[in-house]
This record gives sequence, structure tokens and C-alpha cells, in this order.
Amino acid sequence: MSDTFIIPTLSTERLVLRAPGLQDAPQHAAFYASDRTNFVGGPLTAELAWRNPAMELGHWALRGFGRWAVTEKGNDTAIGIVGLWHPMGFPENELGWDLFDGATGKGYATEAARAARNYAYDRLGWTTLTSMIDPKNTGSAAVATRLGAAFDYDFDHERFGSIQIWRHPGPEALT
Amino acid sequence: MSYHLDTPVLTTDRLILRAPQAEDADAFISFYATERAQFTGGPMTERQAWNFFGTEIGHWMMHGFGMFAVTEKGDDTAIGIVGHWYPRTWPEKEVGWVLFDAEHEGKGIALEAARACINHAWTVLKWETIVSYIATGNTSSIALAERLGATLDPMAAQPKPDSPCLVYRHKKGMA
Repeated sequence: MSDTFIIPTLSTERLVLRAPGLQDAPQHAAFYASDRTNFVGGPLTAELAWRNPAMELGHWALRGFGRWAVTEKGNDTAIGIVGLWHPMGFPENELGWDLFDGATGKGYATEAARAARNYAYDRLGWTTLTSMIDPKNTGSAAVATRLGAAFDYDFDHERFGSIQIWRHPGPEALT
Repeated sequence: MSYHLDTPVLTTDRLILRAPQAEDADAFISFYATERAQFTGGPMTERQAWNFFGTEIGHWMMHGFGMFAVTEKGDDTAIGIVGHWYPRTWPEKEVGWVLFDAEHEGKGIALEAARACINHAWTVLKWETIVSYIATGNTSSIALAERLGATLDPMAAQPKPDSPCLVYRHKKGMA
């Protein structure tokens, strides 16, 4: 069997968003072992944390879109995972951002998420996007607000429980 | 980044083993909803099984090998998952087997598929060792391991030390 598909590389002022891969496993494992992942389904065991980067790639293969490993220009080490996400059990296409330890507070999540959102609107032709945010995750809500998103509705997720769905401005509102 | 997945196809007397693809997701998810999945990490919800299926595909992308969808010649429907499995936390490379429905058991299908995968591991992938991790109480899987000539290795490292399983070691060069 032969199958080809592309995971594009996106560049922003300070960041490169590239395909996730096996080389990101240590950063993934460290992130998902920490309490910082309380809001995104963690902490996870080492085994499950490994499955995550594999799952990130599988999502690209199954959906044709997915999340990128975020890196700083000039350094290929992943500092987070940002992108387009729609696993089974999500109500709509999602724009998500998880920054690993030490990468927060620099505007990176906003910068990377904006690039991913532009890709969704300009290249994939999407007309709307949501972000799933735990109401206690004030950092993530602040990023969403900076991106112009606003709370839309409550959703009951099988694993995360009661969670908020925020909606981003559509492509016409951003031009 | 362009992913070109050139995955091998293994052919036996009655079976064709090919890489899993999006069309196999439903069969995989249905199996993982049943009690039959109790020895391989299930039962699990539809959402969890979809994630796991994504991981199966991501495993191929990361390693270049993975679990095959087992099909009967002349019918491309996946009836099981058999093949090579090496998540980050596994101490050794594994050959594993799952048949989705009881109706396919008792015909030597898993044996035929597993034998092809073990052969492939020795001769093409050039693995140095092969084990099969089997849940205590999974009598039909234990019987299959023994038919394949594998023997219990009580000293082998455990993939999940908190919940030990039986480690069957395959004899070098033998399938």
C-alpha cells in the first residue's frame, strides 16, 4: 500500500510550525506527566504520553488536518502543540494550543494559533472555528480573548466533563 | 513535510495483511466496545477507540512498521489487527494479534497472520528479539503463542510493571 499526504510547515515571525514526530516524544512525555495538563486530559502515564505524538500523526492521516509541533526559529525542539483538531467526541473543528513548560508568557500560543487559524480559513476554506476551554484555565481563555474568540456554549465532554466552547471570528471578520 | 507511507503487504494462503486505513476505523471501534477487547486494553468508548486507531496509524508513520489490518483474500474488510508493535515504553518489540469477531476464531487465521508477521520481523525488519505480551487469563492467546513455538519468559521486563502480563518469547528465526 502506498499513501502520500502532506503536513505543511507554517512560519510566523518567531515560530516554525512543523509536522510532529518521534523526536518530540520526550517533550510530550514531560508535558503530559506534569500537573499543567490538568486542563487537557493529563497527567498521563509514560505509555499514554507516548501514544499522544503517534495519535497526533494519525489524526493528520485520518482527517487530513491536525496539530503542529511548535518550534522557535533556529531551534527544532518542540515547545508546544498547536493546530486543528477534531477527534471523535468533539462537537466541532477545534483550534487548540498547548505550550510546554517554559514557553508560556511570550505570546507564542497566540502567534501560533493565529497562523493555524489562517491556514484553516485560507487554505482549507473553513468558515468557523471553536476552541474547547476548561473554565478554570484562565491562561487559555486569555489567549482565546486575544484571538478575538468569545464564549459560545457549554459542552459535556466524555472525558473532560463540563467544558466551554468558544467561537472564533469567521474569515470575513478577520479581513 | 510530505509523508509517503509505503507500507508492505504480506500475503499468506488465505489472507492479505495491509496497513490500516480510515475505512477500518468502524470495525476497530466496534471491537473495542465489546468484552472481547478485555485483554487488549478494552472495552473502551467510541471516542477512546478512535484515538487508539489514530495511534495505530501514527505508529506506522513513526516507525515504518506497525499493526496490519487482516483481510481475507477477495474481501478487503478488516477482520482483525495483527503485527508489529513497539510503543515508547515497551521494553522489547512485540508481535500482537487481535481478531475482531468470534466467528473468525478457530480457523487458524490468527496463527497464519501472526506467523507471517513473525517471519517478516526476523527476515525483513531484522529484529533481534520478538515477544508477545499476553494478559493472564487470555487462554486462547496463550494457546496461539504456544502453537507459534513461543515460550513463557518469566524473567523478561514487563511493559506495564504495575499490571504484569505473561511474556512469551519467540524463538529466533522461527515462526
